[in-house]
Amino acid sequence: MTATPATAANGGGPQNTGAPTRLAAMKVSKVGDRVFLGLSTGAAWLIMVILAGVAIFLIIQAAPTIGANWLQNTALQDRTSGFTLGYANFWAYVSPLLFGTIWASFLALLLGAPVAIGIALFISHYAPRRAAGILGYLVDLLAAVPSVVFGLWGIVVIRPFLGPLNDFLNTNFGWIPLFGGSVAQGGSTLLAGAIVLAVMILPIITSISREIFLQTPSLHEEAALALGATRWEMIRLAVLPYARSGIISSVLLGLGRALGETMAIAMIVSPKLIFSFQLLTNDNPTTIAANIANQFGGANLTQANALIATGLLLFVVSFAVNFVARWVVGRASTGPRRRRIPTRKASR
Amino acid sequence: MKITRSGSIAAVALVGALALAGCSASTTSTTTSSAAPTSKVGLNAIDPSLTGTITAAGSSAQVAAQTGYSAAFSSVATGVTLNYNPEGSGGGRKDFIAGSLDFAGSDAPLSAAETTQAAATFPGGALDIPVYLDGVAIQYNEKDASTLNLSGSTLAKIFAGKITNWSDPAIATDNGGKALPSKKITVVTRSDSSGTMQNLTNYLAGAAGSDWPAGPNLGTLPQITGMDLQKGGAAVATEIAAVDGAIGGVDHSALTSGATVASVDGVKLTNAGIAEAMATGFAIKPNSTPGDLSGAFDYTKIKADTKAYPIPLLSYDIIPATFKDAAKKKLVLAYLEFIASTDGQKAGATKANSVQLPDSILKQVTATLATVK
Repeated sequence: MTATPATAANGGGPQNTGAPTRLAAMKVSKVGDRVFLGLSTGAAWLIMVILAGVAIFLIIQAAPTIGANWLQNTALQDRTSGFTLGYANFWAYVSPLLFGTIWASFLALLLGAPVAIGIALFISHYAPRRAAGILGYLVDLLAAVPSVVFGLWGIVVIRPFLGPLNDFLNTNFGWIPLFGGSVAQGGSTLLAGAIVLAVMILPIITSISREIFLQTPSLHEEAALALGATRWEMIRLAVLPYARSGIISSVLLGLGRALGETMAIAMIVSPKLIFSFQLLTNDNPTTIAANIANQFGGANLTQANALIATGLLLFVVSFAVNFVARWVVGRASTGPRRRRIPTRKASR
Repeated sequence: MKITRSGSIAAVALVGALALAGCSASTTSTTTSSAAPTSKVGLNAIDPSLTGTITAAGSSAQVAAQTGYSAAFSSVATGVTLNYNPEGSGGGRKDFIAGSLDFAGSDAPLSAAETTQAAATFPGGALDIPVYLDGVAIQYNEKDASTLNLSGSTLAKIFAGKITNWSDPAIATDNGGKALPSKKITVVTRSDSSGTMQNLTNYLAGAAGSDWPAGPNLGTLPQITGMDLQKGGAAVATEIAAVDGAIGGVDHSALTSGATVASVDGVKLTNAGIAEAMATGFAIKPNSTPGDLSGAFDYTKIKADTKAYPIPLLSYDIIPATFKDAAKKKLVLAYLEFIASTDGQKAGATKANSVQLPDSILKQVTATLATVK
């Protein structure tokens, strides 16, 4: 008995690893097992506690401002940090922000998702294996770039780069409301923000779609090719239908990222609390997250509560989006996925 | 290789010589002042045995000056560190009231509500101490106007969106009747709230009257169509420089080199002009806390003085009237006493290219600091 902990410490318990069933492993319980069980269970509970803690914090902090009459609250009508000045209640303040959040995220998805899926298809079905590996790695690396760096890139590169395009669209297609209005000379447009946002959501959509494309049964692919399909027809007939729900869920996860993105929008876009679909002007709706980043520093204590209340709403929206995404993924991965895993490894 | 090294040695020697010259200069000045029968002031008054960290946050306008003050201070008291986080005036006041700071830097004194809140955190309340004087520059980007003068009411109309073109007759009137070519005006301002805008709107409300219906003390300009909003003072300055036809209010210390700055009411932005405005137009109007030194500018008086720059920016450090911790009190008071000395003001003004506070104000600051418990 005394030797048992030493064996465990020696990187051991080979009997354990070799145990045929979970039940047996449970029975042969050693100190290491119990400690590890405790740690992992603790970690699992901790994440629940943290999530609940965040939700409770948001609700407690937000509560005083959500139902209140803002016009009668002197702190919310504070002129020195006047961003809540003149708003009658929480919903009047947050609705343009909610609109801006959804509109900016939608634009980012519109621009980013097709490119991301294209990259994923290229990596999984077109690129030579070696190039695919490098490209996949590079796209994943994009996810590691801090959003402040994306913001600076947006200011220094994307804004001036888009200048001529803005003028062209406004002059020739100004009759479309999207491109109407008076062009922002400095380029602090929602279009610039949405493009940077689109780049930021590329990695998550690409990596998930790529995994799912790789899971397409090779029998289906080979069958399509054997019937005389070209590669594009094979992708259309075999890969895309198989991956449809996976693509949707990856796009929804990308949307989750776009909804919460802060610094890039706060730094690039000239923000107003308005409802506007115009893409090329200085009068852009802003997002909840960017608004918090902009205003929290100057907010007084009650205004901070109001900002936290907008954060609560964002939390609810993001939670819902992620929930739907997980649900779609869950539905997609039942059945074929289990049989797929060996195939995926082989195709790598 | 050799040349580079000797060059760098020469450079080090030069820097050393300059530093020595600097030292000797300040020593002589303090010696003369300590020759008077008063107690020691400035660098000489700092106790070298002080140690500790001062935690402060707030006004981003003050940050360069605070670097100057603290560098000079810790050249004597080497054990003292200042952590100043330029999170913005409002954020500084909020964190100070919450009790997490030793002092707050703020471009505006505590509001009435904040004074009450501060009194709940600190027994005896909190004191507004003026420490830093600078101006709000009206930066513009209009190639056809190498110099530009704007009156208060024209400026107010531009910021309120009533004048939208550089060819507007009101601008021509301000510039001797010479009309500028037609070009759209883009007003650039901050998307986050700032003390710079508060000082600017104070001026607009004081000088332009009914042309500025939005009133004084606003942390952000009211949003108008086409207004270009940027995060932070530096981003505003860069944006104005980049956008043809842009104009906006920028903190003097955030101006980049080569920026074109308009005269206001016929007065150019100079340190002398700001000092003149302070001397003519500033009056201490304390709040209910005994010893408080908050004040306000009288823009009518400043306008009457043709040498005074009309948009000064006065920034405060806000401290508790009663410290809970004796060691902390000693440290913070020593630091603020240094800031309120000629040596301290010089150190900050040199670093930030700002203006030294007049002696009359510094005397009142020293008197107030003596009452802190």
